[in-house]
Amino acid sequence: MTREWKDMTAFEAFLDDGGIVEVDDDMPREYREAVFAFIEMHANSELMGGLTERDWIPKTPGLRHKMSVLAKTQDEIGHGHLLYMVAADMGIKTRRDMLEDLFAGKSRFHNVFHYQAVTWGDQVAIAFLVDAAALASQQAVFKNCSYGPYRRILKRIIAEEGFHMRLGEDRMMRIAQGTDIQKRIFQDALGRWFWPALQLFGPDSKPDDVLLRWHIKSERNEVLRDKWVQKFVPMLQSYGFSVPAPDLRYDDDAGRWDVGPIDWEPLKRTLAQGGPDSARRIADARENWEKTAWVRKALDEAVPA
Amino acid sequence: MIATTESTLVREAWSTLATVDDPEYPGISIVDLGLVESVELVGGDVHVGLIPTFSGCPALAMIADDVRETVGSRVHGAVVVEWLRSPVWTIERVSDVARTAMAEEFTVAVQIGRTTPVCPRCGAPTEQQSMFGPNRCRSVHRCTGCNEAIEVMRS
Repeated sequence: MTREWKDMTAFEAFLDDGGIVEVDDDMPREYREAVFAFIEMHANSELMGGLTERDWIPKTPGLRHKMSVLAKTQDEIGHGHLLYMVAADMGIKTRRDMLEDLFAGKSRFHNVFHYQAVTWGDQVAIAFLVDAAALASQQAVFKNCSYGPYRRILKRIIAEEGFHMRLGEDRMMRIAQGTDIQKRIFQDALGRWFWPALQLFGPDSKPDDVLLRWHIKSERNEVLRDKWVQKFVPMLQSYGFSVPAPDLRYDDDAGRWDVGPIDWEPLKRTLAQGGPDSARRIADARENWEKTAWVRKALDEAVPA
Repeated sequence: MIATTESTLVREAWSTLATVDDPEYPGISIVDLGLVESVELVGGDVHVGLIPTFSGCPALAMIADDVRETVGSRVHGAVVVEWLRSPVWTIERVSDVARTAMAEEFTVAVQIGRTTPVCPRCGAPTEQQSMFGPNRCRSVHRCTGCNEAIEVMRS
């Protein structure tokens, strides 16, 4: 069943009324492109994140954590798989085009995957801070998402990301109760990950943000970012770690933490694939793609059972 | 209220276990997913025998923690969680309640044996796209009717 709308005003009225758009609907071109770009970036981020997790499987200390890294790897790759299906269905790019654009450095993925995870402390910081930021963003998209196929996939992704957050808390609790050296490793990692995690939410939403108007996002970037700050600043401090923000202060009147001015230049660089680890990560992903060409060829040629 | 007599203790433990959700399926209990095999009293302690969907499932430690915490808050004595080697978990252990919840809440279908799973949204048959999805207990299918990307839980 294909639905159509006579103009953008009618379409937006449908969205404002809580309407859910399905893949066969004759949605406005601008909406289709905006939603597609958003899902493509999400899919790319899952894949790049999964490849990073994979790199940590052999290096992860202890069986308990190793199992969690294995699980996260499979989750992220699986999420990417589902999201590429949903994105490809929108008819703008094929799955193969999306992947080849990504490996050619032509596509965006989240800023946090443009940095290197140096020590296990980085992995703890990522699981604790970055996964929480990603989950908060996804929850805010899911809450009111007008594109049905994405909304339904998001529900499952969020359930699994919630599980990752618990794994992150488990890792953080263990390192916080560890030796002085372990605590220092985590403190050093905080210095590398606090700001990228915070920047994941993006700069303040523009008043004319179409993602808000078309009910893809349900909350403004700055609101989500502030909630994260209010939760994680006191939590890190309560575990005895310092927050690497020189201008950090507590506003007694407002009863809230203020991290001071945010430098958005690092985020902009990652969006242009110019982050500290972007080139290596993209080259790694491309090499992985090239090395597995024989698997795709074999599958294409396989006779169905 | 803290349960005391033996039969009420075991009953209490079972009903408490029914409130322990799977870490990846909020709202669906481990009892409905067929993970709980036995509840026994051994010298005043509550022994809970669980079986994993897949050995090596990363949620095992978390599920055991949740069981100890939740059941422990309702009964006297220690709660001992044991992962059993048999019987082996199969998809048939998933209750109708959980099958319905997975279909309605998460658009996840259940595949029994070699049957063709049907789409939780439109009821049309689905085709497998890949043997594994985000989890080892699920494959990824495509609905031949509405085209939805569907995860299928199976043994």
